[in-house]
Amino acid sequence: MQNSVLVSVILLSILISGCAGKMPQTAEEFRKVLPDAFMGKKEEFEVDRAYMDIAKTFQTMAPRCLDVKIKTTSQTYQSYQVIVAQYNPTVIVTKDKAELHVQKRHESGVMAVYKEPEKGHYLIVADVTPLGKNRSKIVMYRPSIGHDVMVKAIKGWATGKNIGCPDLTQ
Amino acid sequence: MLFRYSIVLPLLISLIGGCSGIKTYPNSPIKNLHVEVETDADSLFSSVRAAVDIYRVDSYCKTEYEGTVQFKYPSVDLGIPPGRSSYLVFVYTRSSFLSNSTGTVRYDVLLTPHPAYKYNAKVRYVDNIYNVEISEIQPDSGKIREIELKGLNTCHAY
Repeated sequence: MQNSVLVSVILLSILISGCAGKMPQTAEEFRKVLPDAFMGKKEEFEVDRAYMDIAKTFQTMAPRCLDVKIKTTSQTYQSYQVIVAQYNPTVIVTKDKAELHVQKRHESGVMAVYKEPEKGHYLIVADVTPLGKNRSKIVMYRPSIGHDVMVKAIKGWATGKNIGCPDLTQ
Repeated sequence: MLFRYSIVLPLLISLIGGCSGIKTYPNSPIKNLHVEVETDADSLFSSVRAAVDIYRVDSYCKTEYEGTVQFKYPSVDLGIPPGRSSYLVFVYTRSSFLSNSTGTVRYDVLLTPHPAYKYNAKVRYVDNIYNVEISEIQPDSGKIREIELKGLNTCHAY
């Protein structure tokens, strides 16, 4: 499991970078590159929830759940590997748009092939815009494989159902 | 030989018990926190265990470990000293038998119970999503208010 995640992360990093030797350095670059990247996915959906309620949930839950350091170990009879990853969330809320950026920086166990932003490579960007009093639109830029638990948690923050933190040790 | 075992065995047991660092929380007889626990049911492949570590918080925001309560039943009543801050760290440990792996995640809460108030906590780990919600019940009116949960980093020394 951990090995497959590791391979996914490395592949995703390389593929998002478009093999051009450059990784998205900003959320805007990530939005532009991801939909055409292999293993990248742009997902849009609407929810029956007020925009400001979603923004507030992002502001509450993201620092609590996603500002974490995760240490994973994997061991076979041949090898022993320790990976330490720091997740860094950023929430930006304006009158008409809320953004959640999730970045991940490997502190040990994984070598960065390309130059990463200071807070690590972009993993997920979620944009929320109001559609009406109790209706909002969410656009998620995310990996198509892996990080399912994090995606599920962020969708929960958007819909208001099963609000909680994702178990990132998975 | 028998004499040697009679000395070594109790020593070994006490050492293992003492070195684990985990002690049972000395629950107060006056219970003010009712905890309801919901976790994924055990399967052939995995299980989830929930517990709470309870710390005393002093005026300098320093913590002192008081003990742990393992949630073995769907609900449990705890006595958290009112009038002062306690630091509650809810710990979820997931074990996967297939991959022979374990993972631990924590949800920490700084709680200062008011005297005479009652508190309800919902502690949940379902589908790899975990959460803690605590609500406060006023003693006279019975009015229930959900508390905005904050971590130890919001503690202010005085």
